[in-house]
Amino acid sequence: MSNILTLKNSYHIVENGDSAITLLFDLSPSEQLTKVIIQLSTLLKRRYNDTPVLVELIPAYNSLTICFNPLKLPIQTLKRLLKELLQEDLTGYVSQARLIEIPVCYHQSLAPDLDYVASYAGINPQEVIAKHTKPEYLVHMLGFLPGFLYLGGLMPELCCPRKQVPQLRIAAGSVGIGGDQTGIYPVASPGGWHIIGQTPLNLFAVGEEEPFIAAPLDRVKFVEISLTEFNKRSEQLT
Amino acid sequence: MAIHFIKAGLQTSIQDAGRQGLMHQGVSTSGAMDTTAMAMANWLVGKPKTSALFEFTLIGPAIEFSQSLDISITGAKFELTLNNLPVPSYQTIHVKAGDKLNFGKRLQGARAYMAFTGDLLFESKVLPDVLGSKATHLTAGYGGTDGKAIRNDTSFGINLPEKKSQVPLRVIDHKKVYHPGHNYFLRCVLAPESSLFNAAQRDNFYHQAFRVNPNSNRMGLRLEGEPIDFHRPISIASSGLIQGSIQIPPSGLPIVSSVDGQTIGGYPRIAVVISADLAKLAQLAPGDSVMFVKVSQEQALTILKNKQQQLSQLMLE
Repeated sequence: MSNILTLKNSYHIVENGDSAITLLFDLSPSEQLTKVIIQLSTLLKRRYNDTPVLVELIPAYNSLTICFNPLKLPIQTLKRLLKELLQEDLTGYVSQARLIEIPVCYHQSLAPDLDYVASYAGINPQEVIAKHTKPEYLVHMLGFLPGFLYLGGLMPELCCPRKQVPQLRIAAGSVGIGGDQTGIYPVASPGGWHIIGQTPLNLFAVGEEEPFIAAPLDRVKFVEISLTEFNKRSEQLT
Repeated sequence: MAIHFIKAGLQTSIQDAGRQGLMHQGVSTSGAMDTTAMAMANWLVGKPKTSALFEFTLIGPAIEFSQSLDISITGAKFELTLNNLPVPSYQTIHVKAGDKLNFGKRLQGARAYMAFTGDLLFESKVLPDVLGSKATHLTAGYGGTDGKAIRNDTSFGINLPEKKSQVPLRVIDHKKVYHPGHNYFLRCVLAPESSLFNAAQRDNFYHQAFRVNPNSNRMGLRLEGEPIDFHRPISIASSGLIQGSIQIPPSGLPIVSSVDGQTIGGYPRIAVVISADLAKLAQLAPGDSVMFVKVSQEQALTILKNKQQQLSQLMLE
């Protein structure tokens, strides 16, 4: 999906209730596709700057969901505008992507499922840590919970089906693996992922000017820290 | 202190119109589930329609006032008493220091709202905005009163405007808006995956009365009934999930997303509840029946326009 021709022939616009539409691409998730989706979202935001016409723009792996006020903007007008924008070259988007290092402590006291993931993969826990800290993961989108990052790039060896019975409470900052995804729970929540570590960072800093640590197209790298370091940094936060 | 919750009720929280424009960061809208009842309650006490107020769920509170205030109660129907005498909902009520308001038996609906004159103080401070709203997100734990439901024996202060303008007594003939009883019809339009469901699955969905499961909450309403049969699972990439989306998980039993719902979801959606009917989701109590009715986009828009017109006629400034 690197050229504009592919893009033009591989989308459809579907209705999503009476006040939203979803632009769906028939393409697999990729960095290129995320760039196009973020570029579109930015253009739409700019077009309707400070008007209550567009309510939400929700990017995802291969879609952009646009919530609008149907009393102020007819659905046909929005569809037409989207089609126009899709005629433009959206592949040259230059984002101000950052590389964000996220410290993770993989100590057994914070990693109840590390041994399980290791045995499922047929390797030892140290190798799981080495493989988990190796890639620079791409942030495709945020969602599900406030500040939850959908990351692309988990090594196939570390993929591990979700738990059959979700745990009732997983602590905020827990780093887990579920299927072919890895991620961090920004707030305490129930969940079915295997927990292999914990970060002392706050991924949803309520009250801060910038409550979220990353945006789509940023890259994330996990950096192993010791339990002493984890405790020190956790204390600094509170 | 002005408002003292002797008993808080089953799940009482502070809500307003919620947060907008943050779903791309995983922040759901939150806010009052029944936005119509919220607007009416605030109008009755002469405040902007989206002002913060209390939302009660299934079991209401017992409250003692220690200051003269105008309040109003809307939404679900309870046996309400003020100092042991019946008191009506949907109209301005003047309370005095020492008055006791009690929510008795719930007669219909699931969520009631109480608005009040002035600004609410919690722990001696004006309740702060979190991400632009005072709404409480109970599962993720932010907003409102430290992200938590209000507990028994909690007090709030009220900052009354310096020059207290007398609120005129207002009454709303709420029966004109809706009075659903225990059987609800939710009108819906197409969702992104509607076409992936076959005729038999759609028939099953539109031709039965589902029952509301007690595990329903502000994130979503879980329904019971004859499951939608999947011969072949429908697998989709996760995408933006909006209020009113009717998801069909592998169990085949629908989940309707609501105000606190997750912003991205991965289950196929068979339909989406129309905007004009979203407030009804607030009033679905466990055991109530729900039937889905398909309408066109044009009908949905007409219904929305009519509803707004009706509301503005009921609440003339």
